[in-house]
Amino acid sequence: MPQNKSRPTGRKVMLMATCLSDVFFADMAKATVEVLEAVGCEVIFPEAQTCCGQPAFNSGDFPAAEKVARYTAEVFAGDLPVIVPSGSCAAMHFHGTDLLFEDKTDTEKVENLAGRTWELFDFLVNGLGVKQWSGTLNKKIALHHSCHTRGSDTGAAMETLLSSIEGVELVEVGTPEQCCGFGGTFSVTFPHLSGEIGQVKLDSVLAQSPDLLVSADMSCLMHMGGLAEKQDKEIETRHAVQVLRDVGLNQ
Amino acid sequence: MSKSVQPIDAFARDLPRETRDAVLSSVMTRTAGRKAKLEADYENPDDLRRLAGKVKQHTLEHLDEYLEQAEAALIKNGATVHFASTAEDAREQVLAILKENGAKRVVKSKSMVTEEIHLNDFLQKNGVECVETDLGEFIIQIDGDTPSHIVQPIIHKNRRQVAQSFEELGLGDYNDDPQTITRRARKHLREKYLQSDAGMTGANFVSAESGRLVIVTNEGNARFGMAANGLHIALVGIEKVVPRDKDLGLLLNLLGRSATAQQLTVYTQFINGPRSKSQPSGPEQMHVIFLDNGRSRVLKSKERDILRCIRCGACLNVCPVYRQTSGHGYRAVYGGPVGAVLSPLLAGDDFSKYADLPKASSLCGACNEVCPVNIPIPELLLRLRSRANQEGIKSAGSPPMAPFAKLATSPKLWQTAMTASKAMNHLPITMMPVRPLQEWLKIRTLPKWSGGEFRRWMREREGEPRMDTNKHE
Amino acid sequence: MSEAQDIVMGAVKQALSGLRGKTSLPDYESEFLFSVRHKESEQDGWTEFGENFSAVSGKAMNEVGDLVEFLKEGGFEKGYCDPELKEQVGEVLVAAGLQVSYAFDHQRVDDYVFGITRASGVIAESGTVILNDEDTVDRLAALAPWVHVAVLTDQKKVFANIPQAIENLGNSSNVIWVTGPSKTADIEGILIEGVHGPGVQICLRIGGEN
Ligand code: SF4
Repeated sequence: MPQNKSRPTGRKVMLMATCLSDVFFADMAKATVEVLEAVGCEVIFPEAQTCCGQPAFNSGDFPAAEKVARYTAEVFAGDLPVIVPSGSCAAMHFHGTDLLFEDKTDTEKVENLAGRTWELFDFLVNGLGVKQWSGTLNKKIALHHSCHTRGSDTGAAMETLLSSIEGVELVEVGTPEQCCGFGGTFSVTFPHLSGEIGQVKLDSVLAQSPDLLVSADMSCLMHMGGLAEKQDKEIETRHAVQVLRDVGLNQ
Repeated sequence: MSKSVQPIDAFARDLPRETRDAVLSSVMTRTAGRKAKLEADYENPDDLRRLAGKVKQHTLEHLDEYLEQAEAALIKNGATVHFASTAEDAREQVLAILKENGAKRVVKSKSMVTEEIHLNDFLQKNGVECVETDLGEFIIQIDGDTPSHIVQPIIHKNRRQVAQSFEELGLGDYNDDPQTITRRARKHLREKYLQSDAGMTGANFVSAESGRLVIVTNEGNARFGMAANGLHIALVGIEKVVPRDKDLGLLLNLLGRSATAQQLTVYTQFINGPRSKSQPSGPEQMHVIFLDNGRSRVLKSKERDILRCIRCGACLNVCPVYRQTSGHGYRAVYGGPVGAVLSPLLAGDDFSKYADLPKASSLCGACNEVCPVNIPIPELLLRLRSRANQEGIKSAGSPPMAPFAKLATSPKLWQTAMTASKAMNHLPITMMPVRPLQEWLKIRTLPKWSGGEFRRWMREREGEPRMDTNKHE
Repeated sequence: MSEAQDIVMGAVKQALSGLRGKTSLPDYESEFLFSVRHKESEQDGWTEFGENFSAVSGKAMNEVGDLVEFLKEGGFEKGYCDPELKEQVGEVLVAAGLQVSYAFDHQRVDDYVFGITRASGVIAESGTVILNDEDTVDRLAALAPWVHVAVLTDQKKVFANIPQAIENLGNSSNVIWVTGPSKTADIEGILIEGVHGPGVQICLRIGGEN
């Protein structure tokens, strides 16, 4: 299903910080708030939010996923754009719910949320028209296009903003089709496979000797960074929004 | 949560490095080749994939009509048409046709569907010699192995292993030069062709409009099998039908490029019946056996889209899991993403035997992106996961999700849990409560827990003017 | 109807019964399938064919003399020629000192180093030679020898592209498209030409304008 092109935009937004921000990535979530505010947004953070339901969905427990998805739709009810700093969670709303609710009735709220959800970079560039990020960063950046942003506008949007920063050199990572191996519970249930898959990707990244490995999904970075750290390999990982924040908020 | 290692995970762990690397480098080359070829040839190759997907989906949804049409056309062209409901039916029918004609020696060109019904062993047991003529399949046969890729059956073998097998078969002294190996196979198999009584093939497509069977090979083996003897038997899955001859052009354009980065496979045969009257070589009889063997069950399911598959192998090549396991990791005839969907479905009542395969995926979607008939494989994997869940199949090793759902719909509990998990930072790996997580941590680290921190920060700055939080850790 | 057929057709019908929202059969223009290269090509069909044929390791020739030279240089001295091509090709080869027989003996297929048969057409877009049962004097003669020469005499049979060639499949019970020499990459992905069929695939056009 194509993403709804008529998604709402505007500078009053709700933030879906993602469950990973709750446990590991507080700084990325803060950066998201700061960057959104730097471009003039008022950010509303519904306190009752938890998770998009993807872990249950991907495990095949559709009833559990449905509960969480319906709950999330309630939490984010309204007509404001909902911004997610994760290509993967955004895709859960665009595509996942199609399948999850295909035979269900009473799907209005869920569909409504899907129609208002934006991945952060897609929103910045295509929703708000921010195409320039002023500041300087003399670094070689390897961009990891996370799998759940396939076919979406996130990758190009991220490239637009990062390459507009003075001094940034974006390098191509080989095996662009290769997944980082994370896949949520996949990495727990199939730890060897997942590790070897990640290694292939990590090798492609390291071959470019970048200063930073950047992505629109924290989970991929967590996996590749975790593999690298265990092997004492130097690679600094950053969510793309952290890069923007670090470069400067006086936009 | 399942404590044992999943079979495909163990397979990947134990696969010899040498084999893994052979598979990996081969599929990487193929993936790059496919992409380069399609992008050089089409401004928007995805349009073509989507169109082909629609044509095949339409055919499946009207398969009864198209099968009848194909049958009528084939009969008009002078072919004999049979139907087989199960693998056993198909084997018996092949044997009956061979017996009727006193055929004792069969040359076979590569066909996944004959693998599926384990035809070779059966014929052998019934006194019929059945020789694989595709080079890769021939090597599989002499090694008593099974193919590990749809298009490149011996992707898991290197030249030294092949050279050894050839030496043992008496095809000359050890020589691992691929050129020499190929020449020796040419000589050996040529004799087999010339002594054969029948040629067996599958079919890539059947046009309902004209009854034309399309069979493609690069080596020319199917052509040889249909030039050196008088009997042709084609075993064809019922899903191979397409509506019109023009659709053959569409699918051929995609098949060659997706499978081997060729615009067209070298030998593309359009077979309309037994040989022409003026032609001295080739089959006087043509038999087509349409095989169900579980396909109608798949057709009934919501995963029917998988029957669009044209067996190009592109999804295997691009799949991160296949890249670590080869086809053998999937324990069935069809490996890779297509196999992870098809094997549990074709298994029928034995669904649970393969219910772990749909879970062995990060759902990265690379397969869907390359599939020439645009099969939404990740979606089908999810459907099968859901089915395993509904049927209460435990073997598939997913953690139970009800506690998660409870947590994720109770904001207070959620926040407490996320903060409390801070304790994890202080536990040594071996004391981790969940064993699979220990496995995880053997080769990866986890970031520092920062549970609750973001929410606190959000609350604290509530009401504060914008832009004054520029400085942070 | 056989019993097996009833069972299979019954199962298929049952599987589809009640299926709603069926996909309709899409229609599309032939042009949709043309490669960018073909769309932009301004060459005549035969020239385009020649380029694409050589891209798949085929050899397109315009003169019997070129064929003579090629066969002599390669040491391909003995072969078969379709009697229909005796005057135009066979005799020229014989005059140049090559051994040509006009009968194809199935008992000694390996004695023919080259096989010369008629082509039923070519496809410009893909560099493909078309052989059908009616024009091919013997399937084996076009397949067993190391060098296969397909001779195109009918200038009208240069099809621009795959859809056009499909429209012109005609009534032959067997049409085969040959896009280069027989090949494999089964062993370590290494390309080897000449597996079961010809290692050298030639298309010779005679009677055309140059
Ligand atoms: S599922 Fe698609 S990509 Fe995979 S083998 Fe079949 S046609 Fe090819």
